[in-house]
Amino acid sequence: MSQSPVVALEARNIHKTYGALAVLKGISLQAHEGDVIAILGASGSGKSTFLRCINMLETPDDGEIIVAGETILMRRRHDGRLEPRDRKQVDRIRTELGMVFQSFNLWSHMTILQNVIEGPIHVQKRPRAECMAEARALLEKVGIGDKCDHYPAHLSGGQQQRAAIARALAMRPKVMLFDEPTSALDPELVGEVLRVMRALAEEGRTMLVVTHEMGFARNVADRVMFLDEGRVEVEGPPAELFRDSGSERFRQFISGHER
Amino acid sequence: MSMLRLIGFGPEGWAGLLLLAALTTIAVTLTALAIGAVFGALVAWARLSRSLTARLLGDAYTTVFRGVPELLVIYLCYFGGSTLVTRIGALFGGEGFMGLPSFLAGALAVGTISGSYQAEVFRGAYLAMSPGEIEAGRAIGMSKMLRFRRIIIPQVLRFALPGLGNVWQLSLKDSALISVTGLAELLRESQVAAGSTHEYLLFFATGGALYLMMTSVSNRVFDAAEAHVGRSFRGGIGRG
Amino acid sequence: MDIDFLTSTFLQLLAAVPTTIGLFVLSVSSGAVLAVVLAWMRVSGNFVLDRIARAYVLVFRGSPLLIQMFLVYYGMSQFGVIRRSLIWPLLRDPFSCATISLALCTAGYAAEIFRGGVLGVPGPQIEAARACGMSGFLLVRRIIAPIALRQALPAYSTEVVLMMKATALASLVTVWEVTGVAQRIISHTYRTMEVFLCAAAIYLVLNFIIVRLMGWLEYRLSPHLRAMPQHARPRPGMVG
Repeated sequence: MSQSPVVALEARNIHKTYGALAVLKGISLQAHEGDVIAILGASGSGKSTFLRCINMLETPDDGEIIVAGETILMRRRHDGRLEPRDRKQVDRIRTELGMVFQSFNLWSHMTILQNVIEGPIHVQKRPRAECMAEARALLEKVGIGDKCDHYPAHLSGGQQQRAAIARALAMRPKVMLFDEPTSALDPELVGEVLRVMRALAEEGRTMLVVTHEMGFARNVADRVMFLDEGRVEVEGPPAELFRDSGSERFRQFISGHER
Repeated sequence: MSMLRLIGFGPEGWAGLLLLAALTTIAVTLTALAIGAVFGALVAWARLSRSLTARLLGDAYTTVFRGVPELLVIYLCYFGGSTLVTRIGALFGGEGFMGLPSFLAGALAVGTISGSYQAEVFRGAYLAMSPGEIEAGRAIGMSKMLRFRRIIIPQVLRFALPGLGNVWQLSLKDSALISVTGLAELLRESQVAAGSTHEYLLFFATGGALYLMMTSVSNRVFDAAEAHVGRSFRGGIGRG
Repeated sequence: MDIDFLTSTFLQLLAAVPTTIGLFVLSVSSGAVLAVVLAWMRVSGNFVLDRIARAYVLVFRGSPLLIQMFLVYYGMSQFGVIRRSLIWPLLRDPFSCATISLALCTAGYAAEIFRGGVLGVPGPQIEAARACGMSGFLLVRRIIAPIALRQALPAYSTEVVLMMKATALASLVTVWEVTGVAQRIISHTYRTMEVFLCAAAIYLVLNFIIVRLMGWLEYRLSPHLRAMPQHARPRPGMVG
């Protein structure tokens, strides 16, 4: 539970359209330091798109992203589309947002350890010795310290995802973004990843988690945001929301997903 | 047997010249491959580009240099190149015919041809890459240059290795055609030896055997390289 | 652009096209037959036959075609026994030498392609054939060969196009096919670019025709890979 007044991340009125299809119709979010926000929604509700707009992997068509008080500067092109004004600013802000992907996306030509130190050494230009030590510690923390010199292809899905989490943490980000981190995992492996995420939440990390794992949303998240057809349908503390959200759609959604 | 003496290292022996010629073959093939890598990378980039013009130009290059006999390309580079050099020389007051050095003409020709094959290899390797890994690079704040250097290039080279092995073999054999320019590579030297001793069978067979040795060794080297690079895959390159 | 020169060049080159096509058709067809034999030797399970075929493939794929051609053209004449034989007039003719050499070379490559096709025949389908009592030549003729052919066709198409390019080498053993004529024109007039463009155009058209033919063949042989024709689709009310 977070009492901090510092706003770690803010998204204002994000719109995104693909051709004729409006995927995001004005989504706003405010995350204080230490907040763990679970973003729920059916397929096509826009939740992944929203997350990817935050670190500019997708460019929103309208709206603002503010990370730790710094607004990402945008400008309008002659064809009306929005684009970031300063690529370097985007790259820098991305180093403050750690992203964990559904399909892990570990770099297959590097060992796990090399994956984890890649960002700190080549993007943040931190000294190698420091990065190595921190990397080993992080891999130990997520439970795969003995797999440092293995290649991703030789690890199970759960191990790969935990390595991906370590890689994101190594950048010392202000906010962690999780894009359906367990959706691509076999059921037996989901638990180990959720455990790591829970530990991070309990440490006080600011986390945005797009997920289908109701248990995580109920028990670990501070806030739940339910997206439906590109808009925020309901939002609030999980205890309240799961008891009585006042939204028929949300009730339908949970009953479809409860195990 | 006098035949053995002919291919030996003695005063009548051609072994020294043949081995030197084999080295020339390797040298010209390496040069050709380097030239081809540059052309190939450019053409691959063009074929992957969003611009229709670039794609068409890239396709045209590939179609022409994979479809036209290598011998014609060599004639183009050698005779055409010489004409060009003579004209440039005339501008500077030179007189008479100036030939483009056969090594250069040959390497350029084989390089241009191998470039079209290498373009296919690079393009295939790039498409085989997992886009998620590039995204992870973006998400971690890597600039375009950094992503290219740290993620795209290493991965393309890994996937391209088997294809490049084939291109090397192909170019090694194509280099034999450079003999028409008079370059003292292996085929030419075999020809010269055969012609001067009238031992055609002996010297062409010896030349052939030397080529066989070069291709066999190349095979081993590339297999070893693929094994080394493929250790990051579960089942070797092309899988996992 | 000198239209007259281009036209006359084009006509001269066109006159040589029948020779090119002749070399191509004869070498590809005889090479294919030999390749089938070699492929059979490789998959026969017989150690000796397998080894011989492997050696053949190694030699003919590992050495340049040109040196093979020189070996046949110059080397054969060294054998008294061949000189005195009945087929000598045939072997002395450059066209035959070139054709034989081309056929021997393509056989090496095609053998591996056909072998790949045979190995690609799904085991379960062979099992099904055996289960209804098929074996031996019947099995090969009705099941293995047809499926193997379909598997091998794409790769074999590439080989066939390469053969068309390879015919150009015959010019180096005095056969007047397109490239030979082109080289003669170039060495007389030094108008390399124009001649190159004419000759290249001819080869590209020939390649295009071949690719189309092979594509048509693939199409005809693969109705099982396409959507069902309308009249054959199951309709409601049909029994079963």
